Amino acid sequence: MNSASPVGLERIVPLNRYRYLLNKVGWSVFTILFVLVLNFFLFRVLPGDPARALTKDPRMKEAAREALRVRFGLDKPVINCFDSLTPIKLGDCGVNPLETQFFIYIKNLLQGELGISYKTNRAVSEILVERLWNTILLIGAGQILSIFVGIALGVLAAWKARTAIDYGALFTGLVAWSLPTFWLGIIILFWGSSHGFPIGGKATPGIGAYPFLQQAGDIARHMFLPTLAYTIVFMGEYLLVMRSSLLDVLAEDYILTAKAKGLSAFQILKDHALKNAMLPIVTIIAINLGFTVAGAIQIEAVFSWPGLGGAIFEAVESRDYPVLQGAFLLIAVSVILANLIADLTYTYLDPRVQSE
Amino acid sequence: MKFKTTFVVLLTVFALALSACGALGGSQPVVLRIGWAGSPDTLNPGAAVLSESYTIFGLVYDAMYQLQLDGSFKLNLAESVAVSDDGLVYTYKIRDGVKFHDGQPLTAEDVVFSYLLYQNTEGYPWMGDYTYYFDTIEATENNEVVITLSEAIPNIDSQLVFLYVLPKHVWENEDAVEFENFAMIGSGPFRMVEYKPNEFVHLAKNNDYFGAVPKIDEAIFQTFESQDALVQAIKTGQVDMITEMPNTAVATLQQDANIEVVTGAPFSPGVTDIIFNQVLPENCPPDDGLCTGHPALLDRNVRLALAHATDKQKIIDVVLLGFGTPGTALLPDGLGIWYNSKIQDYAYDVARANQILDDAGYKDVDGDGVRELPDGSRSLTFRINWPSDSIDSPRIAELLSEMWGQIGVRLEAQALDPDTLTAVCCPAFDFDVIIWGWASDPDPNLLLSVMTTDEIPTGSSETGYSNPAYDELFRQQASELDLNKRREIVWQMQQIAFDDVVYIIPFYAQNVQAYRKDRFKGFVLDQPKVELSDITSLAFVEPVR
Repeated sequence: MNSASPVGLERIVPLNRYRYLLNKVGWSVFTILFVLVLNFFLFRVLPGDPARALTKDPRMKEAAREALRVRFGLDKPVINCFDSLTPIKLGDCGVNPLETQFFIYIKNLLQGELGISYKTNRAVSEILVERLWNTILLIGAGQILSIFVGIALGVLAAWKARTAIDYGALFTGLVAWSLPTFWLGIIILFWGSSHGFPIGGKATPGIGAYPFLQQAGDIARHMFLPTLAYTIVFMGEYLLVMRSSLLDVLAEDYILTAKAKGLSAFQILKDHALKNAMLPIVTIIAINLGFTVAGAIQIEAVFSWPGLGGAIFEAVESRDYPVLQGAFLLIAVSVILANLIADLTYTYLDPRVQSE
Repeated sequence: MKFKTTFVVLLTVFALALSACGALGGSQPVVLRIGWAGSPDTLNPGAAVLSESYTIFGLVYDAMYQLQLDGSFKLNLAESVAVSDDGLVYTYKIRDGVKFHDGQPLTAEDVVFSYLLYQNTEGYPWMGDYTYYFDTIEATENNEVVITLSEAIPNIDSQLVFLYVLPKHVWENEDAVEFENFAMIGSGPFRMVEYKPNEFVHLAKNNDYFGAVPKIDEAIFQTFESQDALVQAIKTGQVDMITEMPNTAVATLQQDANIEVVTGAPFSPGVTDIIFNQVLPENCPPDDGLCTGHPALLDRNVRLALAHATDKQKIIDVVLLGFGTPGTALLPDGLGIWYNSKIQDYAYDVARANQILDDAGYKDVDGDGVRELPDGSRSLTFRINWPSDSIDSPRIAELLSEMWGQIGVRLEAQALDPDTLTAVCCPAFDFDVIIWGWASDPDPNLLLSVMTTDEIPTGSSETGYSNPAYDELFRQQASELDLNKRREIVWQMQQIAFDDVVYIIPFYAQNVQAYRKDRFKGFVLDQPKVELSDITSLAFVEPVR
């Protein structure tokens, strides 16, 4: 018998693929569970009593403070044996676990409840959903633009390697990638405001009463400057990675073969080099898309964009722990999911991956 | 190339979308656009904490009194008030014909409902304080509200001024704490059009208002997260007015012919204080007190020397770029009549400060440039802390380090997380010097209480200061019904605290605001306080034709 028969191979591959998939999904679920637990305890070991962050002012009367504590469930023990973690206060280990903050947190999570914001008294899930759409709009546009511009410039630079165009693109990419986002945002804000672009918010207040086209146009005008800032920053990364990845591929033997066959430089690029050079870019895009949910904290803060990044910024400023906790969870889950998707996409792009 | 064409198409679509929107046509209402760096925390008046919320409440709701820019109170919802001889029963005659924005009448019933709601809802952070002395609250058939107090107090106006009157027919069916109140039905000169948290508050004038109907049609408060954006927005005309800005931007904006920059005492006055831990061992709170303060700070001579060595004008010039006034008392000058303007501040005089320490026996024995206690046991090295979210405090600490260094006092400076600072401060008294601050009520009672012996164990007293004479005067002013007599006592208390150098008050910061004078006029600027977004201005602002 020949062990390398086609029949044997066919059996092994699907088995490997399932095991690979199961493995990846399993790890993702485990990571999410770990984040759930970590996220809970992280905000309870932070310096400072959460009840104090909630009540903000030492002048508040004890009765009012107690009422707030009850409302936010901070009067219950954190978990069995521990009444609080900062400062560490030991408590009764015999309490009903379902009556502890930890299990209430898990129970609420399973029902999709992320708690109530200390600052605004609104449901955290409501705030986050509202903000998520704004973020997806802004970051989505910024990502698409930076992917296209970055890849196009990267290809151009690699194709014209070691020419003025290449060095120009390389220089642009390096500068763009290393620019401090906050600073770039401010510069663009100054420039844009003197050219008539709105510099704050998502839309002109009161625009809701106008026809759809005017609303869309208004939002587009508001998006212009933050999108520009975002595109410049992220374009640099895509450009650099694309350029170096394509240069590697162009140095491969099969490109030499293609050249020997007499193909034009454009044909080589289009049919032989580009697909292989795309692999690293796919990884980066997937990871970046995961972080998209976090918004671009600095850009959203500079342009007062009402997205998730802005929400995180405000929550940090006002020590709004429930909002931060919810936002962290959302970010963690989306990064893990994006990674999972990237892993799975890989098996199709490059079948060698799953057998590792 | 595929990529390139797609990109060009995308760009074209984007550019088309941009050009599709010029000016939004039609006959335009007069809109005053106000830029600010905050946003209300909630529109529920009982649950709100931030001043931005109160700004909106002041425009959309009415209260029994309205606070004026000179610090006095004017009857608003009531047309008259009668007080019983013992000062316990107040009878307010509510104006007839007042309507809520939804057309329903506002009557004494709504007032009573609101006051009871504020008094009985435990989850409201502040309202318990304002309604503390209310024994009974009743409505009569003549559209009157009768408030009976548990004891006579001199300041019922300041208790009622933030108790906004809510429509009973809306609120009786809602959870008092959780109600978000986005529709915000009030009776004030402006009505709510649309509210988007952290984006904007859109208000329109109330044509049925019983008082002066605003001359502008709409007012929009737009949130800018960064102060640079705020300044740029008024410069380029995207907003007509800004309620705050960095002092560094003042010079640039003043050069702009279309912009008027205004400064003055803030509407809700605040104070920055340098706190000395002077709690005596016998007053150390038994449960929570650690009381590790430096013993030298218990000596008035040391605190006096530090006061003489503090160049307040320099601090104001460096930290506030000149937009502040030197402080003397914990009550800020923005409190108007309550502020003791007669106090003569300690002169900045380093030689005198050194002399005081020399005379009191604090000598630099080991020659390291830092003085020691008279018994030589410990050097005059003080810990100085401030909340890490403060922008001004690090600079103040640095200046103090330099100034007090000239008299042989060394500072160990460290910013602390606000929670940690609260934990070391009070009632633990585990510190030497803290730079912190207070926001003040319009009434002096709260800030005066901070220095009483009773507040040492509660955590309200930051200094641990204890003076029976001061405590007695505090009790007197709290029940003195005659305004002038009460003022005399309040002034006397400030003098005592100043003489004892309980605090050093480096400055009272000023409000710095700006508006487009090429577009709007009529802001109230001739008063002791400046607040362009208050109803006292917004009711009279009109466009420049």
